[in-house]
Amino acid sequence: MIDREKPMVEVRKVHKSFGDLEVLRGIDMQVKKGEVLVIVGPSGSGKSTLLRCINLLIQPDSGDIFLEGVKVNDPDIRPEWVRQQIGMVFQSFNLFTHLTALKNVMLGLTKVKRLDGLEAEKIARYELERVGLADKADAYPAQLSGGQQQRVAIARALALNPKVMLFDEPTSALDPEFIHEVLDVMTKLANEGMTMVVVSHEMGFAKSVADELIFMDNGVIVEVGVPEEVFASPKTDRMRAFIGKILG
Amino acid sequence: MRDPGRDSGWRRVWDEPLFKTGVGIVGLLAVVGLLLTALNDIGEISFDFMASHWSFLLRYALTSLEATVISFAVGFGLAIPMGLVRAFGPGMIRRGGLARGVASPLYAIVTGYAEVIRGTPALVQIFLIQFWVTSTFQGVPGISLWAGIAALSVNTTGYQTEVFRAGFQSVGQGQIEAAKSIGMRPTQTFASITFPQGLRLITLPLANEWIALFKASSLLWLIAVQELLWGMDYIGTKLNHPIDAFILGSFFYLAILIPLSRAVTFLERVKRIPGLGVAEPQRRALFAARFARLDRV
Repeated sequence: MIDREKPMVEVRKVHKSFGDLEVLRGIDMQVKKGEVLVIVGPSGSGKSTLLRCINLLIQPDSGDIFLEGVKVNDPDIRPEWVRQQIGMVFQSFNLFTHLTALKNVMLGLTKVKRLDGLEAEKIARYELERVGLADKADAYPAQLSGGQQQRVAIARALALNPKVMLFDEPTSALDPEFIHEVLDVMTKLANEGMTMVVVSHEMGFAKSVADELIFMDNGVIVEVGVPEEVFASPKTDRMRAFIGKILG
Repeated sequence: MRDPGRDSGWRRVWDEPLFKTGVGIVGLLAVVGLLLTALNDIGEISFDFMASHWSFLLRYALTSLEATVISFAVGFGLAIPMGLVRAFGPGMIRRGGLARGVASPLYAIVTGYAEVIRGTPALVQIFLIQFWVTSTFQGVPGISLWAGIAALSVNTTGYQTEVFRAGFQSVGQGQIEAAKSIGMRPTQTFASITFPQGLRLITLPLANEWIALFKASSLLWLIAVQELLWGMDYIGTKLNHPIDAFILGSFFYLAILIPLSRAVTFLERVKRIPGLGVAEPQRRALFAARFARLDRV
């Protein structure tokens, strides 16, 4: 009778503390295949920590993380196996500074997937073309603009053919004129059916692309809903106050 | 409008960094040469003596070089894992569990080693190790040289450990996190990210350590290793030309160290990451642009 698809990512009762500070206080959420979930919330609310728990860059203290129904925060499962199936894009790009754009995208293919150089290069060039940077293959990160670096970072994550993409405030470190080019790539990705979890305060993106929006505050999920509705008629005072702040 | 001052051939050549260094060295040599010639003329020193004995010192210079190269290589090999322990040991200890059980004693030993080596005179270390080695391997031919190499290795390992620690710690946390996020294992992350990036950051301190080590190899004279300083002292005393012998020997140190430091500068330039750090290539690009402009005139 329950005929719903298994969620791509499911988070159950996850808690995480750093010292005395409890950053995540019982998080439950899920993302279905092909869905785009946007997480908003004031800084310090635990958004980034939640994202890092999903690909086990941070081990949760308690609770479970499932990827396609498989519990991944399990001592028997290698975190590297989980991470190569989950792409991640960082606020500060984190491109490998000593490698060209092409080599950045190839590294995971040759080292993690153990493809030979030629095949890896073919895939890497294709991914760079997908983000519109085929002509920047030989540039080093420091020679690229912020927007270009972030698009290379997206290509690097995509090259491993991930099941889910996590975006941690991908446009927060960008100059305003470069934000749209990154959002365009992300929108294209969403339209192609990529499952995405995006921490971002780009309201335009959330409204036009996201299937669901989560508002986090103080380590708990305060409100969940369709973005349009949540923005138009927030149910909680905290959400209302937050929307007021980000809309200025 | 052309600016004749900027575009003149002389200016162009002068702007080449290698040329400036060359002028500097030639100028310095000219001054030193004049001084030495004057001293030669008043009979304080003797060029004739130097000319006839430089080949005698060559052998001993090669012994100094050998001792330095071997001990530097040993130190390099040992300092990489030790630098890793120094850099990432505290984090592993904090994480607890099995990692803590392994990391705690290792970190204590490596830290203690680096502190003791850097906190005691090299000469004391050389004497101690020489006493131990020569009493253990009594009568083995050439043992004093190997005792010396062992002592220099022990010494440079301590210093290089700290150099590598600094290099590894300077690699950004974001770089490591990104490597993890694409599924790389810790060993792969080290080999592909931390090591190549760290090594670039410490090229200069490592070259400094090599230079210091080569000069420190002269201390081996005191444990009767027949190296460059020993050779200088030998001919100086035996033939009663101490000043000549020491000036001649100094030129051997210079002849080995100056090309080396130039080579390191060159290596830094070749291996440097475009767009990061100082603006050297921009100056070179400007230089190339000037050439291009002239070609078209």
